Amino acid sequence: MRRNHACLTIIAAAALAFANAGAHAGNLPERPENIEFRPLDFQPPNAADHRHETRSGVPVYLAPSREFPLVQINFSFRGGAYLEPADKAGLASMTGAMIRRGGTVSVSADELDERFDFLAANVSTGSGDVMSSASLNTLTWNLDESLELFIDMLRRPGFEQEKVRIYRNESIERMRQRNDNPGPILGREWSGLVNGWDHYSSRVPTRNSLESITTDDMRAFHAKVFQPGNLIITVTGDFEVDDMLARIEHALEGWAHGERMPEPPAPTATLTPGVYHVEMDIPQGSVAIGMRGVDRDHPDYFPLLVMNDILGGGGFTSRITNRVRSDEGLAYGAGSSMSMPAYFPGVFRAGFQSKNSTVALAIKIVKEEIEKIRNQPVTEEERTTSINSFIETFPRSFESRQGVVSIFASDEWTGRDPDYWQTYRENIRAVTVEDIQRVAREHLRPEEMAILVVGKWEEIAPGDHTGRASMQDFFAGQRNRIPLRDPLTMQPIAE
Amino acid sequence: MRRWILSATLLVGLCAAASAQQVEVEEFTLDNGMTFLLVPRQDQPNIIAAGWLAKVGSVDERPGITGLAHFFEHMMFKGTTTIGTRDAEADKRFTQRQQEVHEQLMALQHGVQFERWKRGEIDDPWNPRNDTPEMAKLRAELKSLMDEHGAEIVTNEFDRVYTTMGASGMNAFTSYDLTFYFINVPSNRFELWAWMESDRLYDSVFREFYTERDVVHEERRLRVEATPTGRLDEQFDAMFWVSSPYKWPVIGWPSDITSYTREQAEEFYATYYVPNNLVGVVVGDFEPSEVREQITRYFSRLKPGPTPPPVVTSEMPSLAEKRMYGECDCQPQIRIRYHAVPFMHADSYPLSVMSEILNGRTGRLYRAMVEGDEVASSASAGVDARKYAGAFEFRAETKGDATPQDIEKVWARVLAELQENPVTDRELQKVKNQIAADSYRRLQSNFFLLVQLGYFEGLGSWEELNEGPRRLQEVTAEDIQRVANTYFDRSNRSVAVYTRREGTTIDPMLAAIPAEMRPMVQQQLAQIAAVNDPAALREGLNRMRSMPASQLPPEYAPVMEYIAKKIEERIAELEDAE
Repeated sequence: MRRNHACLTIIAAAALAFANAGAHAGNLPERPENIEFRPLDFQPPNAADHRHETRSGVPVYLAPSREFPLVQINFSFRGGAYLEPADKAGLASMTGAMIRRGGTVSVSADELDERFDFLAANVSTGSGDVMSSASLNTLTWNLDESLELFIDMLRRPGFEQEKVRIYRNESIERMRQRNDNPGPILGREWSGLVNGWDHYSSRVPTRNSLESITTDDMRAFHAKVFQPGNLIITVTGDFEVDDMLARIEHALEGWAHGERMPEPPAPTATLTPGVYHVEMDIPQGSVAIGMRGVDRDHPDYFPLLVMNDILGGGGFTSRITNRVRSDEGLAYGAGSSMSMPAYFPGVFRAGFQSKNSTVALAIKIVKEEIEKIRNQPVTEEERTTSINSFIETFPRSFESRQGVVSIFASDEWTGRDPDYWQTYRENIRAVTVEDIQRVAREHLRPEEMAILVVGKWEEIAPGDHTGRASMQDFFAGQRNRIPLRDPLTMQPIAE
Repeated sequence: MRRWILSATLLVGLCAAASAQQVEVEEFTLDNGMTFLLVPRQDQPNIIAAGWLAKVGSVDERPGITGLAHFFEHMMFKGTTTIGTRDAEADKRFTQRQQEVHEQLMALQHGVQFERWKRGEIDDPWNPRNDTPEMAKLRAELKSLMDEHGAEIVTNEFDRVYTTMGASGMNAFTSYDLTFYFINVPSNRFELWAWMESDRLYDSVFREFYTERDVVHEERRLRVEATPTGRLDEQFDAMFWVSSPYKWPVIGWPSDITSYTREQAEEFYATYYVPNNLVGVVVGDFEPSEVREQITRYFSRLKPGPTPPPVVTSEMPSLAEKRMYGECDCQPQIRIRYHAVPFMHADSYPLSVMSEILNGRTGRLYRAMVEGDEVASSASAGVDARKYAGAFEFRAETKGDATPQDIEKVWARVLAELQENPVTDRELQKVKNQIAADSYRRLQSNFFLLVQLGYFEGLGSWEELNEGPRRLQEVTAEDIQRVANTYFDRSNRSVAVYTRREGTTIDPMLAAIPAEMRPMVQQQLAQIAAVNDPAALREGLNRMRSMPASQLPPEYAPVMEYIAKKIEERIAELEDAE
């Protein structure tokens, strides 16, 4: 323990001694637009103010705060599922999980769990598609012991056989549930359609692939990815900067730097437009409609953000939500997204869930909205709402210190222009009504879009009793049937 | 081992300090009875999280209006006489006319249409395809009135005003006991929140009433009907609670969702949305004196009403164990739920600590059934303490060939251990260390703090935020043993066992067989199932195996392999039975 937190309180409440007794309404502004607000001066933080480097060159972003006696340390490593051999799908996620669960070379898995739990430290490790990470959240007074254990685990994981077996069995049980919900089926097939089954983002572990992964495979993956040549560290919470830097130096001492991992590969598949369907006996169909988009460095980045916000990204102020949900009552959730990732072009995707009989009608409305935003300029009011929202909610991205440093770490990984946040609001403000229509025309091309439906076809195909739409209205009624896949082998199930 | 003991001593000393974490809340009440909780914080600059709760939830409903509290939450976003319309007068006329048509439609729905259904003339009285001509006409009229009305409505203006001015994360939730509405606003725009929220409390207009119920039906499909266990879980709740209004789902029964009238909604509003039944909560970067002044200025216009009636129907004591067996497209699983205690009951603290001793990878459930006997792939326990009553639930999913019944046996063992012996000092201290650390972690986000204050206040008192961690630290091993022997009788519980619906896992071997050959395979399987003599089966198997592979077309290979496997399984089954 280095400091006593006994009298820490989250505020020093200077409570008002007197009640504002009877101070009554007087004249309230007639509309909210008539209220006068004082200006809010917000400048985004600068990465340089938080960035440090260890002697060996590992970037470290620090943002201390004394409010709570907690320290949060995140290690982020480049590399994930895209580095797996195709027949070892699941290697990254299994390695990521087993670093935490398999003990260390000198501490057994049970003892490691027990000690972390007794210290009330939250520790997790994992590997996703593109990034791997390890994080520690600990009480300040347990930092010494927690950090020592954390580093031991990260540098010298034990991969205990018995724990690997338990984890593999748990994973297989989760696999069995792959066809129980429409969401995962839609996500999986959509990725296969858009990115191709050979791309890492569509690759799915099978029982065989999990069973083929050996401890040696995991050790090799760990050695390649979880090493300081491939690392950015962020720390927030209750610490002194110099002290934390010294701790990190000590933690990394003697840990050899390996190669930095390459960027993930781009998908090579081309989407074939059309209607695709997976049969599922549920009362509500799930739908995705979309096509390949662009990456983050595309010059249309800002206009596309605003365009999608107006079309379907902005919730209740967006057109798809307004029409599909509010006007017609066809869905609880309806909207669109425009992913513009760092490494390769992303995807435009609109979607909703609607009872089987109104799936066709809702698709028709979404398509109408896509046509409309291409063919007519948006109103100035829509543009203003969207732009104001981006600008005024901008400070929220930096609300927590954890948010700040993780933005900077991610920017460094992806090589984002350091001016991006400083000029963000200007760039948003510069988007015009003409820009919005131009990018809609250029990037939303209905004839190139696919429609994927998961649901009960017999009820979906004819449409609802009002006769406003049926599945005959799209791609001349042609349907590409996608078979359900066996949850353990991912092989199509013949019907 | 030595180091454990060392750190244990250290932590024991420190936890007393840790549990002293207090949130200082400035609480005040307006003349009309509306209470506010203010927590100014400067550590997360520029943002204010603000919300208010109505002390009303599905527990305040009755059959016929189940789901109305939640439906109401949706209606609160539809605007006021100022927000959401181009012409408030026309708005009223449309609303009135729609109400009349809907009432006529419902009269037929609950009259002639229910009669036809009761006599078996139609399969589903709610499906518009089964409408009588008169109903179809009224339905079409309602739809065209709604469309015409749509032209006068400024759709989602409530959202648009907030969004344009930089508010974000606007939403609301309804639970069994409370309804909570919340948003984040830039710290210079607190007055916007005061304007918007006092306006919708002052004169909400329930426009788009009939479209919104379709949205709620879709929400119900999304959350309940299209999920693996949703509909069974609802039935389990309805079985568990005998007399308590916690019986029905927060979202309501579909027949009620279709039937609410505006009159019922207005009555509900007048009863429960009075300022003396509301509590505002504000957390973030603000000057308390300014915020207090604006609150007083805006919210004082709300007129107080009679104190809403309390829920008087108590849950009857459970006299017998109840069990249900359901099938779904889901992992086989079990839920065992015991009647326990309401929010802030003295025993809720030992029960919570007990659940934490069971949970987590170093908890007793994981050690006993995920590892240990290896019958479960996941297992957890939890306390559900509500305003008027509570429950303790254990749930787990199977692993491999284990059945829910196998899990139940291990649960009985784990429970007996808790009943017979006090938990160890180390286990108890571990859980208390985690509770102490979490008492800080849960205060970090303004928004999460807001939700907790609102939630606790809705169930009883926001002071649980400060009280809870302290009372949890006081729990002893004896307390845990005592509650383990108080609430866990068989007669006090309901058990739900779900197994996977047949035919939904497809045998990969069968999947490898071409579709046109499957009928033949099915026929063979039926014949095999009818044979009761293992010797006859073995003979058949030998005959099959002795056939030279070259005599068969190659596409028959997987078929033969599959049938052979099925015969072996049948033999094993018969021999097991002997």
